[in-house]
Amino acid sequence: MKLYDYVLSPSCYKVRLMAALTGVTLDIRPVDFHPGVEHRGPELMALNPAGSIPILEDGDLVLTESSAMLVYLAAKAAPQWLGNDTAGQAARVQQWLSFSHRLTASLGAARLHEMLLRPGNIAVLQGQGTAALRELEAGLVEQQIRGQRFLASDRPTIADVACFPYVALAPDGGVSLDPYPAIRLWSRAIRAIDGFIEMPGIHRLHELKPEPVPEVGEA
Amino acid sequence: MTRNAMIDEWYPVGIAGQLDAHGRKTALMGEPIEVGRGEDGNAKVTGANGRALPACIRYGHVWSSLGDPQKPLFAIPEADQPGRRLVDVGVVRVRCSPLRAVENFLDIAHFPFVHTDILGAEPHTEVQNYKVEIREDEDEVWATQVKFYQPQAAKSAEGGITTEYMYRVPAPTCSILYKTCPPRPGEWDVITLFVQPLAEDLCDVWPWMALFDDETPMTDLIHFQQTIFVQDRSILENQIPGLLPLDPGMEIPTRADLTSVAYRRWLKRHGYTYGAQLVAQ
Amino acid sequence: MRLSHGFVRGETLSCIYHGWGYAQAGNCLRIPAHPALTPPDTIRVATQPVEDGGGIIWISVGEPAAGPPRFEGLAPLRSMMVEADIAALEAVAGTKADGDLLDYTGNAPTIRLLLAPQGQARTLVHVLVAEGSSQAERIAASRAAEALRRAAEDIAHGGIAR
Repeated sequence: MKLYDYVLSPSCYKVRLMAALTGVTLDIRPVDFHPGVEHRGPELMALNPAGSIPILEDGDLVLTESSAMLVYLAAKAAPQWLGNDTAGQAARVQQWLSFSHRLTASLGAARLHEMLLRPGNIAVLQGQGTAALRELEAGLVEQQIRGQRFLASDRPTIADVACFPYVALAPDGGVSLDPYPAIRLWSRAIRAIDGFIEMPGIHRLHELKPEPVPEVGEA
Repeated sequence: MTRNAMIDEWYPVGIAGQLDAHGRKTALMGEPIEVGRGEDGNAKVTGANGRALPACIRYGHVWSSLGDPQKPLFAIPEADQPGRRLVDVGVVRVRCSPLRAVENFLDIAHFPFVHTDILGAEPHTEVQNYKVEIREDEDEVWATQVKFYQPQAAKSAEGGITTEYMYRVPAPTCSILYKTCPPRPGEWDVITLFVQPLAEDLCDVWPWMALFDDETPMTDLIHFQQTIFVQDRSILENQIPGLLPLDPGMEIPTRADLTSVAYRRWLKRHGYTYGAQLVAQ
Repeated sequence: MRLSHGFVRGETLSCIYHGWGYAQAGNCLRIPAHPALTPPDTIRVATQPVEDGGGIIWISVGEPAAGPPRFEGLAPLRSMMVEADIAALEAVAGTKADGDLLDYTGNAPTIRLLLAPQGQARTLVHVLVAEGSSQAERIAASRAAEALRRAAEDIAHGGIAR
């Protein structure tokens, strides 16, 4: 399975994270998104006329939407991540997968503007991002009340992987996570899952490792 | 007028390879500027009210100044060495003081916590003694014999090695790192941090590299350095105080911070205070 | 760096930047760059007394004379930031705050709001509900708090939809 990947793209990271959590090995093909704008070059445009990354190729199958890639990886390698135990749960997963596109359009665009100088009305993007974070916070509060730690279940699903990256990186776009205690708890729960990997901007959860014995005087 | 000393310095304002006739709007120390290519094919930088600013192209970037630079841009002799690959890493904007961005670049003690499993890892956290000096002839800050254990020191590194570093600060918002070169012992890889001060608390950072590495694809080299810098970015945006304190007392330095101490002293000596604070708050 | 970005191992709070670790009393325990060094006692961070009072975390500036207040019969539900001042919240609730407590009855059972102003135009609101409320009642209370916030922010921003 080949992933056309950019190391700073939260959408690409969703796929890398899902693969890491489900034990799938990806063949990573780095794309010079910045500064080279390679995703708009002839080779990648031929593969994905939308001019976006990630792109996932597996034989004849070419996927250009990250949510579809999460479904594919989970269905292939770890179906419990699909979260379709009940009709309600399956629908809730779909609800959050759709919602995740609003995170991309708001928090993701704010981050590109603030970090990589992409165009956009930053105040509007940040306002839309804040509105989306409030919805997520309210949803997570209700899940807590139901005794569930994750978006669609007490177990993590593809819905959590779809929403986590742009939320965790909201501060990169100038949107603070300080006002959202439920989001912070959820984010921590995701970062503590076995097999979790980071991307730049999301630090290692150092408390998961015991205090190391310092090595003094080594060269 | 604390700004004056830095006004006459050169600053990076764009990637040379991306110049076009339309021009690109950006800013330098609060002044809106436009960076483009003139009819003669050279870089053309225009300040407020259309005044022409000094411009030159070097190390993959366009350089300019709001004032009247007294010296040519600092030299990086290694940049002209045959066999090196020159890497334009691309701009990253950071909401921090330009001086904070440079100071962080000079710091190695944060590697295990911020660049975990790449440039550092617990329990290898110790910073050995190293040498720091302000070289009076060149008027530059130098740190040498800096050694640190690194799990993955470069894209070309396989497994952990103890890396040796030298740091050099030739201009208030530019620093050059010379680093052990895994494929070619005896030579130094050159990794720079060129910082464009947009405002006292906002900067565009243009990392650039001149490496001996014929194997690694260019995109991988770019992504490695972008990874490192963006790991630093969230730290930089959360520094308190935002401006770099030049007077002792606000922050507690240890032996590991001697490069930073020398950098701050050198900035203060020259009145390079754009992005700094002098009085403890 | 704020230590809130850092990490907790055992009883030690460490900074994310250089890993300096601090004890509960605020003294520095560990400087990873110098493992052999015992940090001097002068390296310390400010501390505040903290107390968990019935599920609400309280801190005080200085040494308080008494423990934090208890709200008999109430349980904390959630905390939320409102981009409006207390006057706007009072206007929606149709009643005045009693000290830092404001009752609100929308379409759901009454919720009690513990108000912590954050500057001029922001209020941190801790939402309390009757102890023993059912799951459905608690979800309704959370939604009532959302409705209260929307209305208060409409007032604070001149009723203009944002």
